[in-house]
Amino acid sequence: MKSIKSAYIAIFTATMLSNAAYAADIKSIAILTPEQGTDFGWNQQGVDGAKAAGKATGVEVITAENLGYGDVRPTLRELAEDGNTLLIAHASGYNTAAPEIGAEAKVKVAIVDSPAALKKDAIVDYTASGHSGAYLAGHLAAKMSRTGTVGIVVSGEPPSWNAQSAAFAEGVKAEKPSMTIRYAVIGPAAYSDAAGGKRVTESLIAAGADIIFGQGNGSSFGMLQAVETTKATDGGKVFFIDVIGDKTSIDKGFLLSSVLWNLTPVYTAMIEDIKADKFGTRNYGISLADGSVSLLKTKQIPDDVWKSVMDIRDKMIKGEIKVEPKFDAPSVHSLVSQLN
Amino acid sequence: MTLLTAAFLTALLAGAITAGIPLLLAGLGEQLSEKTGVLNIGIEGMMLAGAYMGFLVAWKTDSVFLGFVGGAGGGMLVAAIMALLCVRFGLNQIVIGIALTLGAEGATAMLHYFQFAQTYPRLGAIASLPIPPLANIPVLGPALFNRPPIVYIALLLVAVFAYVYRKTYWGIALQAAGDKPAALDSSGVSVLGIRSVAVLLTGALVGLGGAFMAIVGAGIFVPFMTNGNGFIGIVLAMLARGRPLWVLGGAAMFGACLSLTTALQVAGVDIPTDVIQMLPFAAVMGVLVMLGRKANLPSALGAAYVRGAR
Repeated sequence: MKSIKSAYIAIFTATMLSNAAYAADIKSIAILTPEQGTDFGWNQQGVDGAKAAGKATGVEVITAENLGYGDVRPTLRELAEDGNTLLIAHASGYNTAAPEIGAEAKVKVAIVDSPAALKKDAIVDYTASGHSGAYLAGHLAAKMSRTGTVGIVVSGEPPSWNAQSAAFAEGVKAEKPSMTIRYAVIGPAAYSDAAGGKRVTESLIAAGADIIFGQGNGSSFGMLQAVETTKATDGGKVFFIDVIGDKTSIDKGFLLSSVLWNLTPVYTAMIEDIKADKFGTRNYGISLADGSVSLLKTKQIPDDVWKSVMDIRDKMIKGEIKVEPKFDAPSVHSLVSQLN
Repeated sequence: MTLLTAAFLTALLAGAITAGIPLLLAGLGEQLSEKTGVLNIGIEGMMLAGAYMGFLVAWKTDSVFLGFVGGAGGGMLVAAIMALLCVRFGLNQIVIGIALTLGAEGATAMLHYFQFAQTYPRLGAIASLPIPPLANIPVLGPALFNRPPIVYIALLLVAVFAYVYRKTYWGIALQAAGDKPAALDSSGVSVLGIRSVAVLLTGALVGLGGAFMAIVGAGIFVPFMTNGNGFIGIVLAMLARGRPLWVLGGAAMFGACLSLTTALQVAGVDIPTDVIQMLPFAAVMGVLVMLGRKANLPSALGAAYVRGAR
């Protein structure tokens, strides 16, 4: 009897140890991006965040960059076959292919802009929304605008950008209700259309905007070029508010701010959840409170303006001001129409 | 604030021209290839190579003119591969065209990564050439008659090609290379020579269009920045069916519709963005399909020419 009991204990212990070993057995993860991870924006934050998360957790990170917006199934299969435990599909255009290959190869996947796709041990979503930061950027824009008109230029309408566009508009109006907001989309998925970004931004500047809130990956460089080469209708300088990344190092004096995202906590949490066998039980996001969303301070922002924006930030963290994200494009359109 | 100001209307019209010129050059280039029987699917890649080379040369030399020369050269470089593989070796034009586009996308993205990814250099505003007294007309003047010289050159090319196609021996030879290559060959003219030159000139034109996008349109080069403009150029050429003026019409309409979509959005017209953005594609295809049905495409389009083959 004693020997049977010992055998049970041994089997139980071995099982627990093997489970623990299985749960913690994550050697490498991979991230797939549509453009190079050097765009000072979405792709760079993804690659840098994944690398930082890998370093913090002792996991190797494989990057597959510049994959474009077409079919990435072959790359996903290859990365799955290479033994990566998690595939981070860092583009909304990969939302169909990644879960499909994940199920086929029995590999965990992380996608964006599809919170409803959450599935235990299989799929998580990280629709990171910087709407709280965009709301602050709206306040900043309204405080800094001379012409009373600001512009929002986007190169597509993915949920995370819609949330920021809407929050920016709300921030502008909360600061100064008399402001006019102009909104334009460059084209369907025109993420790398730099010429389109410049063309549309020039139109908004001609329509009176002296501050442009731009969301656009590669096309945002066209927007930046437009503010650098076009004068506002009052003859003064046009400023640019960027999102996700920090373009300070390439700025020529026109960058007013940026809604900065830090995806390191998101990816770190994913890896830790895999280790704890909890992957697929929750989605992930970023927030002002933990610093994963913040507003960039540049020398163009006077100290008193910055202080008042930071006061609003403190109130948001305390819950005194609440901004609800609006992820769908029709909500953004109707909001901008109503506010104007 | 009133939206329909002279400044806003000027910006919209100027934007339409800026968006239409690369399409015009791409369409004219594709039309030239197609006339000789070469279905040039690779012009998206040629355009991207032209955008990269054009920006690189303009930025390095601080000369817009040399930038455009570089852009034309970049397009010709890719076109030379097309001419070699498809015209000389007779390989499948569609397969090679797609491969060249994918190759150019990868190569230019990689070159961008090594050269510009940390600094993202940008060009300044491009000097314009005003045409007095037309440049003084409100709205139309600054948008149409106070533009960089390359805009006027692109428009002039429409007349040049229309003349060449209709009035010159070269035009007849080009048409014969696409319609009756064996007859042209039997008359002592090299079909492969005509097609090779046409493909190279296509590369130069399309590369010029890419350089226009990078130098005038954006002032910067970013990977994949042609964003399908080459493919739209193919559509324009196919629908225009050999007539340069129709390519101009299609490109102008496409550019105008793009500006109209911006105007509708800025005005806050509450219809889905996707519907607004379908407008340029739907309008151009609708008009060209309805009005451009009479002309025929070259009968030997897409077929490699082999002397004596049946």
